[in-house]
Amino acid sequence: MASLLQPDRVVYLVRGEKRIRAPLSQLYFCRYCSELRSLECVSHEVDSHYCPSCLENMPSAEAKLKKNRCANCFDCPCCMHTLSTRATNIPAPLPDDPTKTAMKKAYYLACGFCRWTSRDVGMADKSVASGGWQEPENPHTQRINKLIEYYQQLAHREKQERDRKKLARRRQCMPLAFSQHTIHVVEKYGLGTRLQRQRSGAPISNLAGLSLKEGEDQKEISIEPAPALDEVEPLPEDCYTRPISLPEVTTLRQRLLQPDFQPAGASQLHPRHKHLLMKRSLRCRKCEHNLSKPEFNPTSIKFKIQLVAVSYIPEVRIMSIPNLRFMKESQVLLTLTNPVENITHVTLAACEEEDPDEINSTAKVMVPSKELVLAGKDAAAEYDELAEPQDFQDDPDVVAFRKSNKIGFFIKVIPQKEEDGDVTVSFKIRHDFRNLAAPIKPSEEGGDTPAEAIWLTHHVELSLGPLAP
Amino acid sequence: MSDYPTFPKWRHNETYLVQTNRKSLIYTAAETYLKPVDPCCPRTVVHPKARIIAEAGPIVIGEGNLIEEQALIINSYPENITPESEVEPKTMTIGMNNVFEVGCVSQALKIGDNNVIESKADVGRNVILTSGCIIGAFCQVNTCEVIPENTVIYGSGCMRRVQTERPQPQTLQLDFLMKILPNYHHLKKTVKAGHNAS
Repeated sequence: MASLLQPDRVVYLVRGEKRIRAPLSQLYFCRYCSELRSLECVSHEVDSHYCPSCLENMPSAEAKLKKNRCANCFDCPCCMHTLSTRATNIPAPLPDDPTKTAMKKAYYLACGFCRWTSRDVGMADKSVASGGWQEPENPHTQRINKLIEYYQQLAHREKQERDRKKLARRRQCMPLAFSQHTIHVVEKYGLGTRLQRQRSGAPISNLAGLSLKEGEDQKEISIEPAPALDEVEPLPEDCYTRPISLPEVTTLRQRLLQPDFQPAGASQLHPRHKHLLMKRSLRCRKCEHNLSKPEFNPTSIKFKIQLVAVSYIPEVRIMSIPNLRFMKESQVLLTLTNPVENITHVTLAACEEEDPDEINSTAKVMVPSKELVLAGKDAAAEYDELAEPQDFQDDPDVVAFRKSNKIGFFIKVIPQKEEDGDVTVSFKIRHDFRNLAAPIKPSEEGGDTPAEAIWLTHHVELSLGPLAP
Repeated sequence: MSDYPTFPKWRHNETYLVQTNRKSLIYTAAETYLKPVDPCCPRTVVHPKARIIAEAGPIVIGEGNLIEEQALIINSYPENITPESEVEPKTMTIGMNNVFEVGCVSQALKIGDNNVIESKADVGRNVILTSGCIIGAFCQVNTCEVIPENTVIYGSGCMRRVQTERPQPQTLQLDFLMKILPNYHHLKKTVKAGHNAS
């Protein structure tokens, strides 16, 4: 049953700032802290910007200038698909001889999904294939830019005052202490071009920063407050009587995708440049090591650093569930897969009474008490026919089958609640982990010591589906 | 049309006469395509595995149509009527330059010109398509209405909009197919009305 392999059936608990339960495929493993990390306990950093249709890379500064939009690609204002440029031949008079006409190529934008064309809004065909299309100007641009400048200056001033106060109070303290604070203030009104993004850990010299900005502070920007009007434009007279032609009215989604204009009529929907997507890298908040760092090239899906949990932690999956009945013991078949190349020993333990993590379980579970041994993952195993099968003494009551680095085992489940929801079960899994990343300290005898194994414990919850009727 | 013959249920690999009135379009189901040489509906290309089933009445197909693989054009009995009772056979009319893309199902009784029914679309029996309509991929139109001209139905919610130009007739594609398809498929000689598919 494919539904048993759905990622939400087996969740692991992450003990970070918040307790998060997530499937193992969505978690990361920091091998320096030896802990699971979820997306909420890592810091996200933008690596690069790229356009999803033309896959063009853009440095962050350029992306910011272009408001995070691609210069070449357009989105259909009607269905948000990518627009493609099509060409037609139109007869046009030759510039030399007005009486003769020659076929010239005219380009227009068209959507392959909803068949919208740029001719629908009255945009004339262009004679160049790319670069001829202009977005309509927002009439309020100037006012908005002025407001942004004014507020940026205000934020500058506030930050300087705050820093001066702190400097006056704690002269001996390292500038690190308020580098954390300045990051939040900097982002208040979207600054950041002068003040570089500060990585905590890199010492900054606050005084040097101040001197750079003094030149900018010279010009004082003042703005006029927005005028308040007494009279509002009245509604048209036939507002209530005119029948609505639905193809002419824009949907809310189409309207709000263009917040500058918010056109109410479909004939005013102009195409917009396509939004850029970004590649992000993840960093553990405690030890500041990178957990995930993608390649810079937008066409590549590989990672430079990829510390995902599925390649370090044994994964539990549900293989088959019998009919579960209230207060009756049933055997559920689970599989454990070993992702690393060395032999892993796994011990399972039921959650004790009064365990603070065990809030969701609705059934009692009996896990095998013996230690399960998992063979290492051998990439060449399928090609190597002469390999001797490793001999593990398996208890047939506990271990159902064994296949290269996978093992199937039974657990006994007794549902305790007779309600309509799913039967959920939780237990702890304890396995040994060899940290091959940490530098091997040379032992005193001078020989090679194998990496030391540390024991990690994880809390796993399974969702076994509803009780059988 | 009381002399309209009743047809048996569709069977694979059989020739099936679609309609009378000297506008016959004869084809088989498996591995052939037929280019009707009859001058009344020339230049229509029916791909292999397309099915045109005239169960409850004849189907009249105009010229310049393109019926792609696994398309199903069916003039079937309405659901609440048993085949044994006497029903007046209704003619299904399909105009010119229509495109029935791969896997679509069309039961509409009247289809005009220059329409495009995209892949896996489902057009019900009570729909009447005028000209220039585009039924988007996987859209199911089961309403009881006349679709106005130049309407585009698209998206998972079957959104609609009106386009300014009708879709162009696929003349280039038709010419290409008429040259190429006989090279790649077996052609069966037809049983009736003596014209070979060649």
